[in-house]
Amino acid sequence: MKLREYQAKSVFSDYGIAIPRGRIAKTPEEAADAARKLGKAAVLKPQLGVKGRGKAGGIAFTNSPDEAFEQSMRLFGMSIKGERIRTLLVEEKLFISDEWYIAVTIDYAKRCPVMIASLEGGVEIEETARHRPESIFKLPVNILKGPASKDLAPVASQMGEDTARCLETLYRIFREYECELVEINPLVRTAEGSLIAADAVLNVNEEALFRHENLIALKKQIPVEDPIAEEAAQKSWTYIDLEGNIGVLSSGAGLTMAILDLMHRAGGTPANFLDTAQIDDEGIYEAFDLLSRAKPMRVLLVNMFAGLNRCDELAMGIKRYLADHPTDTPIVVRMIGNLEEEGHQILKGLGILPFKKLEDAIQRAVELSQKRKT
Amino acid sequence: MSVLVDSDIRLLVQGITGSAAQHHTKLMLEYGTRIVAGVRPGAGGQNVHGVPVFDTVADSVEATAANAAILFVPARAMKAAAFEALDAGIRLVVMVSEHVPVHDTMEIVAGAEIAGTDLIGPNTPGLIAPPARCKIGFVPSQYYMPGPVGVASRSGTLTYEIVSRLTLASIGQTTCVGVGGDAIVGTTFAKMIKLFEADPETEAILLIGEVGGSMEEEVADLVARGDITKPVVAYIAGRTAPEGKRMGHAGAIVASGRGSIKSKLAAFDAASIPVAAVPAEVVPLLRKQLDRT
Repeated sequence: MKLREYQAKSVFSDYGIAIPRGRIAKTPEEAADAARKLGKAAVLKPQLGVKGRGKAGGIAFTNSPDEAFEQSMRLFGMSIKGERIRTLLVEEKLFISDEWYIAVTIDYAKRCPVMIASLEGGVEIEETARHRPESIFKLPVNILKGPASKDLAPVASQMGEDTARCLETLYRIFREYECELVEINPLVRTAEGSLIAADAVLNVNEEALFRHENLIALKKQIPVEDPIAEEAAQKSWTYIDLEGNIGVLSSGAGLTMAILDLMHRAGGTPANFLDTAQIDDEGIYEAFDLLSRAKPMRVLLVNMFAGLNRCDELAMGIKRYLADHPTDTPIVVRMIGNLEEEGHQILKGLGILPFKKLEDAIQRAVELSQKRKT
Repeated sequence: MSVLVDSDIRLLVQGITGSAAQHHTKLMLEYGTRIVAGVRPGAGGQNVHGVPVFDTVADSVEATAANAAILFVPARAMKAAAFEALDAGIRLVVMVSEHVPVHDTMEIVAGAEIAGTDLIGPNTPGLIAPPARCKIGFVPSQYYMPGPVGVASRSGTLTYEIVSRLTLASIGQTTCVGVGGDAIVGTTFAKMIKLFEADPETEAILLIGEVGGSMEEEVADLVARGDITKPVVAYIAGRTAPEGKRMGHAGAIVASGRGSIKSKLAAFDAASIPVAAVPAEVVPLLRKQLDRT
């Protein structure tokens, strides 16, 4: 879960990191009012889940409450990468002497936390890594011990003792909030010499949310992007929305990915996929129900590899669902595993021709999707 | 033989009284795995399918000399359970649960390195060694048979799908290990491939990878450097996965170009590792490699 900038900044502030003065605005009136209270030049920053608001012209600098009103009118009408702007952070304009980059994230190859600092602030770290990789300070950390202050000496000597301490604070936040990424880009040295987090990124590990009540509260402030995906996640399933017209219900992430690859190869396109764990008859009923509410599809492809569960139970679940919710959408089922024959008999009774070979089922689903117009 | 497990395995089932754990304890026993103990705090003295239950891992190790553990415990209790096993000197720890917090996994991985313990998972169906009749996990054993191929995979059901085709074609396996679908796992592909290289019975290695992460590239580097001399065949799921979407496994995400299919295929190509474009190509590719050895 990615906190919004204003939420991340309030966490940083709790840990003693200086942030610009500012407040949230949800209407042009609130934006003008916030600018008036700041009493000088202001910056309007959309609070979004997607990156790239600056490049998209989403950040506005204003010199008066009237200007803040007008600019916020414009921003509230905008969408960036499909996400509508609903909230602005209105902040004081900073007078910048230096812009740096600091972060703590996970080094997935080394399987440990890594602290990062760079003199090139305000640009994406990936960009710096491409052009000047030698300029990036990287410190892998033994998670059982934490970082030692002396390890940050290169940061202290180039960017100041306060910056090194700030990076240590980021590490504390990273650990205490169980983050995947904590980033300040840019970290600003102002003309007066103080150190301020001009931006803030705090991505927390979704799996650890259960033990952070304050994060659960912050999550509720963020609009739900995809209610169907959220509902699937509640059941420990994965729902991903895609752009094609064949619905996919399958169990296991690797196999589901393989199905999508085969489908593309056969000339079809997936509308979405729902990846469930090993489910029973009740589970497949709920999965059908969820997919029926997700979006229109031309065909539904179901792949069940019953290694631990049973084909007959799964088929009974489908039978029960279709009895309650008759549909015109063709359903293609590939089902193998325990009690396969019994499962296939039940499906045939429903007028569904069951497949044994994965490729055959995908081929059939693609053919049907090309014949049928929604 | 097989890697990681052999006939000396004395398995402990942590969380044995849960319904899934009881069921899989039965299936593992039926397959031939020697299960010597179960652990469940407060349930010491009970039996599950004839397996004695203890209150703590230390008690069970003292009483039964258990040397491997499978952890059927909820994700949020995984860290405590894993460290209990590490502290008791268990040499192989298998963590099946999905959704273990990643900071917990990093701590467990660091702890296992200090203890010198082999750690499998999290988010894995476990491992199975058909020649040793030993399975630790919930892989459906009917799709496996003894033979010369070592299999390492990031996925459960996709492995069953592909291995069942191997078995149908009479290509058996030395050991099949699900390394886990998370972004950080205890035993990586690189470690698995070195174990298979050292195993005299393994003649060819099959990797079932996914987009995301860098484990496939690490293997390709080992092969390109000449550290691995046995033939390797790969299949990678997620060729058409859109960037930025987590494809069901926490580890299967292409972000800012990292972990992309392009990077993995290029690495395999540079190491001359044949890659099956579709699951149906795995059997002929492996057959070709086995005929050569």
